[in-house]
Amino acid sequence: MHNIHRIGYRFAFALVMLFCANLTYAEQPQVQVIVNNNVNVTTLSESSVRWIFSMRQTTWQDGSAIKVYVLSKQTPAHQHFCKNVLSMFPYQLERMWNKLAYSGLGEKPILVSDSQEMLNMISQEPGAIGYVFSTSLPPGAHAVRIVKEG
Amino acid sequence: MNRAVIIFSFFIFYFAHSPRSLASDIVWHGFGAQGIIQSSDSNFINDTGDASLRLTEVGLNTSYRINQKLRVSAQGMYINGGNRFDEGLRLDYLFLDYQLLNTQSWNVNAHLGRYKNYHWLYSATRDVPHTMPSIVLPQSSYFDAFRDVSLGSDGISLTAQHLNGLGEWDVRWSYGSSHIKYEQTENLMSQLATGELDHDFDTQFSVSFTPLGSGLSLGMSLLRTDFSYKPGDNDVFIKGKAKLGRVMLSLSYSAEYWDINAEAMREKTEFKGFFRDGSDADSISEGLYVQGRVFVHPDVTLLARFDTFDANRDDRNGTKFQQNSGDTIPAYFAYRDQLTLGASWDFSANWRVRAEYHKIAGRARLAPVFIPDTVINDSKYWDIWALQIIYWF
Repeated sequence: MHNIHRIGYRFAFALVMLFCANLTYAEQPQVQVIVNNNVNVTTLSESSVRWIFSMRQTTWQDGSAIKVYVLSKQTPAHQHFCKNVLSMFPYQLERMWNKLAYSGLGEKPILVSDSQEMLNMISQEPGAIGYVFSTSLPPGAHAVRIVKEG
Repeated sequence: MNRAVIIFSFFIFYFAHSPRSLASDIVWHGFGAQGIIQSSDSNFINDTGDASLRLTEVGLNTSYRINQKLRVSAQGMYINGGNRFDEGLRLDYLFLDYQLLNTQSWNVNAHLGRYKNYHWLYSATRDVPHTMPSIVLPQSSYFDAFRDVSLGSDGISLTAQHLNGLGEWDVRWSYGSSHIKYEQTENLMSQLATGELDHDFDTQFSVSFTPLGSGLSLGMSLLRTDFSYKPGDNDVFIKGKAKLGRVMLSLSYSAEYWDINAEAMREKTEFKGFFRDGSDADSISEGLYVQGRVFVHPDVTLLARFDTFDANRDDRNGTKFQQNSGDTIPAYFAYRDQLTLGASWDFSANWRVRAEYHKIAGRARLAPVFIPDTVINDSKYWDIWALQIIYWF
């Protein structure tokens, strides 16, 4: 009986630890999806963002072109964005883009060298969408709230 | 072919120099790969069995956006694969892409011109080395001796993508035909075929479904195609027609540090004519490969694959096949089981080096397919190794 209690306590302790680990995780920097101020969008579902970054949606609802900007696959921001916003792994996204670019079906997103260039492009280019680790945004860009599904 | 290359060059020149074009409307990509490959006891690469540098792939493509709905895409390439396929320049694709519908849940496009085969897991970028899992693809589905015909066609293709509460759907349809060069006829039928093989038409339909957030993708594709043959002088073959139908199922699962890809195919071939002795070559062949990859490091991938193919499912060990040939063609030409192990390393941005080894039992689908080379291919077991360096942009 005593043993059962001890196991129970240990189990509860493990659960608390797991919960704490989760909290610590949640406090890591968050990636935010950002768009140019001319894009009249403030909320997007997770699958809509995936649909855009897999280059399947190429126009905004008003018919204007979407310009997708990404960071290189080695950057923490890109990895974080893929896993936590798109629920995909970077290699899956890369495979999709390669298929588009080397079979003529479509175009790859535009690669920028760092988050500063990302902020510049998003704030200057009409129709632009990209992502950065949470930071203060320049006047020409605003963040989009991502609605998780399921 | 030369005409196609000239048209392609012209297109590139025109768009690159057109005063109306803006830099942002044109996108360029390319790749180059050189390797060394050996299959010492088969004619897969060459007839001598020596290590060969005939493993070259170079390509350049461009996409020009005329407006939000209309785009032109083209890719030209040079390829050398030894005996595997004919060497030379080819226009891989050149089509007009018209976007019929683009919304938050639909993307529908029509392609007119020379389009790629978008229906199988690896068919769309078959000659683009860094997009392929290995140097030599699973031959059950990606049969090198018949590569040109399965690359794509000249005609029309429609693609639709849809997002709903269940997941993402891809539906594709295509109708067209391709030109079969003499080298391709030789690869398939042997040097004894002196006539002309024509690809009458090819129609394909495929659907794939990716349930939301699952990492899984399931696909199905159907192919119907007809060929006709006009014999030449002193030809061992006679006038004929061949009808071919293929059904394929595919599965992909992607986890963070590993993935699995598999495709199963069943192909029914019916001949009318073709063979002088009136032999019945109709058959239903079956093939399956299962491939696993492990991403042991962000830049290092290990691969293992098992690929199996039976030319006639009613004669899997080739006994009847050997008998029907009057014991001139061994039974092991009726099947093929292939084990592949490989590794690749991305040693710098846009650079990759990879190596692989194949151990094979059986020699089905070795060119020339109709009248195989039984002198060089005199045993059941054989192997292939290859090493390749790739650059892309």
